[in-house]
Amino acid sequence: MKARIQVVLCKCCTEMPKLLNMEKLQKLAEDSSMVVSVMTVDAVCDGKDLARIVGEAKEREIDRAVVLACHKKDISPNLLKAYRRAGINEFLIELVNMREEVVLPHADEPERAQAKAETKLKAALTRAIMLAPLEKQSEEMKTKNVVIVGAGVAGQAAAHEAAKSGAHTVLLEKTSKSLKVPGVIMTHAQLVGASGYGGNFQLKIKAGEKVEELGAAAVVIATGGGWTTLKGPLAKAVKDAVPLYKFYEHMQSGMVPKGPVVIVDTPDPAGKTMKVQDYAWDDTLETVIQLKKKHPELLVYVIFQEMRAFGLSELAYKEAADLGVRFIRYDKAGAPKIDAKNPIALTVKDFSQGEVLDLKFGTLVFASIPANQDNQMIADALRIPMTVDGSIRRGSIQRWPVTTPKPGIFVCGSALFPKSRELAKAEGEAAGTMAGQFVKRGMIEYGGSVAQVTPEKCSACLTCIRTCPYEAPFIGAANKAEIKVQACQGCGMCVGICPSKAIDLHHYTDDQVMEEARTLLGGDF
Amino acid sequence: MIVAKRKPLNEIVEMLAPYKKVTVIGCRSCVAICLAGGEKEVKMLVSALKVKNRKEGRKQELDGLVVERQCEKEWVKEVEDKVLDSDITLSMACSLGAQTIGDMYPSHLTFPGLNTGIFGVPEEQGVWSEKCVGCGNCIIHTTGGICPISRCAKSMLNGPCGGSANRKCEVNLEIDCAWAAIYDRLKIQNRLDLIEKIMPAKDWSTSHAGGRRVYVREDAKLTPHQKKGKEAVQ
Amino acid sequence: MAERKPKVIGFCCEKHGMDAAVLSARSGKQFDASVRLVQVPCTGRVDGIHILKALEDGADSVFVLGCLEKNCYYDTGSIEGRKRVEYVKQMLSEVGIEKERVEMFNAASTNAWAFPEIVSKMVGVAKKLGPIGGEKQ
Repeated sequence: MKARIQVVLCKCCTEMPKLLNMEKLQKLAEDSSMVVSVMTVDAVCDGKDLARIVGEAKEREIDRAVVLACHKKDISPNLLKAYRRAGINEFLIELVNMREEVVLPHADEPERAQAKAETKLKAALTRAIMLAPLEKQSEEMKTKNVVIVGAGVAGQAAAHEAAKSGAHTVLLEKTSKSLKVPGVIMTHAQLVGASGYGGNFQLKIKAGEKVEELGAAAVVIATGGGWTTLKGPLAKAVKDAVPLYKFYEHMQSGMVPKGPVVIVDTPDPAGKTMKVQDYAWDDTLETVIQLKKKHPELLVYVIFQEMRAFGLSELAYKEAADLGVRFIRYDKAGAPKIDAKNPIALTVKDFSQGEVLDLKFGTLVFASIPANQDNQMIADALRIPMTVDGSIRRGSIQRWPVTTPKPGIFVCGSALFPKSRELAKAEGEAAGTMAGQFVKRGMIEYGGSVAQVTPEKCSACLTCIRTCPYEAPFIGAANKAEIKVQACQGCGMCVGICPSKAIDLHHYTDDQVMEEARTLLGGDF
Repeated sequence: MIVAKRKPLNEIVEMLAPYKKVTVIGCRSCVAICLAGGEKEVKMLVSALKVKNRKEGRKQELDGLVVERQCEKEWVKEVEDKVLDSDITLSMACSLGAQTIGDMYPSHLTFPGLNTGIFGVPEEQGVWSEKCVGCGNCIIHTTGGICPISRCAKSMLNGPCGGSANRKCEVNLEIDCAWAAIYDRLKIQNRLDLIEKIMPAKDWSTSHAGGRRVYVREDAKLTPHQKKGKEAVQ
Repeated sequence: MAERKPKVIGFCCEKHGMDAAVLSARSGKQFDASVRLVQVPCTGRVDGIHILKALEDGADSVFVLGCLEKNCYYDTGSIEGRKRVEYVKQMLSEVGIEKERVEMFNAASTNAWAFPEIVSKMVGVAKKLGPIGGEKQ
């Protein structure tokens, strides 16, 4: 095929010429029949040089470019903008990282570096010729709705923040509690189904007996923890055991607990997956300190496997101990047990002393809570992953901390893992802000480097559908796989796994990847 | 569907060693779905064999392709040139495909690249479990929808054997006792009375034990009048 | 005749994989020039076919470098990448080729030390095992 390539050699101020022979690289570029313009500039990241490049590009009527410079993330935004002015599609610009792949790390081997640089140039030219222009598209968000599942601490905070960005918030609350929050609150409402993608979801909401359809731009999951479901052998044995938050409420309302008060970290001490998060300790310590101050005569025990009172909480631990709270540590071998037939005492082996203690209790309190049962229904409805202990699993923590892997679906509070009210509120604010900002854009951008199915090759094996975290592949009208481009993130997982090679990824096709590899391996250095 | 898996590569290398020109033919149907013989597996196999040949210094031409459904003559015919042009064909389809090529080109060598297999159900992505052995007389309506012939190691028809313990099979502790599962299922369906019905000894003549089976739909067969070309002539 | 240098190729993900390589270079770390890098959007994109073709095309060793599994930018991509690499290793051992030639690595973008260690390891493998099929190509 014919191409008109512009090759730009960036000196990176003076770094490149120190190690590489720029003239040889220039000559190599000029020798290629497809190259119609070769420029050497001081710094591609400098506006002046960019203007020159664009001028030359227009004059030589190039249709694609190879730029030998540094890391693409640093220069590509401005470079692509510049080339757009010359009418070049952004997907026809091939950026080669000479600086970090050759010049910096091979400072002591100039000959090998030169040969490697020449090979990389060859590979970039080969790849550039194989590239195709790709268009990004945009779709309007049909609504400004941010649907928040759960009107607890986190949910309410999310609603307040999302509304600030102009989003229309809809809170789904499964109980009948009424609150003053921005937007709408639907009581006795649960999320039972969802389709679509971030920016344009179609949700199914069960409100009372009816099932309603509602469009949404974003969803925030704030279902909270399993406050009302205490599972585990200790909870089974002691019917009137209470979760910590309830005990705290009773204490605040003036009730005097029946002593001794025994607080255990989890109702399932021998369990594999029960998480006991930091919330349990901050709130436990606050509770026992208040309790001891109000009722110094009460015997208070805190039974735990791992006390995580860090930072300033350590002072609370010390204060509680000084006030007479007895802290007893156990390990799985000596986990606390209660005789279900005679649930008046808790037996536990004190890890530090080695003694088996028999603690009579008047009130049994559990510091941590299991995951909310509703999470399963939500995760099924939205088809998002869960953790093994029943919480909603979040996506890459580096991408954003309060999101699920699917764009447009956010999660906060104890739905992620049990946490204190303050932390849940903070996360709710974060999720609400992110959802609001997401919706404020009003559009979703998609396309470009996305996957595409060749239907004739598809075996409808469903592997791509099962693998994709974003629900981009689906079985279309022809009973073959298709890609919902709005949902496709361009990772290429489905492409790499398709057993019939029916899917390819634009801009990283099999041919492009393998040709680049082959050319690089063909160089001798 | 039919589930197969690739023969160990060393076996395949040995099979193909004496031949100079090899064509590897996969299939887009069952074996692609069970990740054994689709285009990807064919390409990977060809590549691995080429690398092996380089290591051994062996000169061998290798080519890989797929057909839509290798057990149908029309689709195999589409690649006839590729088949006949080679010294040997390695079929990456189930044995039905391998035998179809063999039957069509009897003087040409066609070897199986896969071991077939089971009638399997994907329990989860990547795991296929046997739920039918093709006995030819399906009785799962009397066993709550669970097949005792395939899922019971002894193919019992009237309840579990004495070795069933903790809902597990005594022949293979990794598998569930099928009859425990059948009991549970019939209980949910309120049809436990079926358990008490005695099933007579199985007539195995409908299964493979009765010899090679042929299923015919008389109304679908083409009369000699309809057949084209020399196929009409007996 | 000049001694043939080892040929090592790495498929790096655009996110943490490449970032780790870039950071190590910017931190002044040096690594063997034998390594070639091919960028992919995610190691989940890497197909067993790519790895085997690289070996066909003269690579002595091949690595795949992606995000840490619990922090993959595309959530499950580096898990997929690892599965592809393991499958190819299995195939190689079945044909009697050293499976050490192909390896999966994970690194965080903030780790400046990981990439040179990876290169060093894979160049070591390439030097120890030599080209597949001896010096003749």
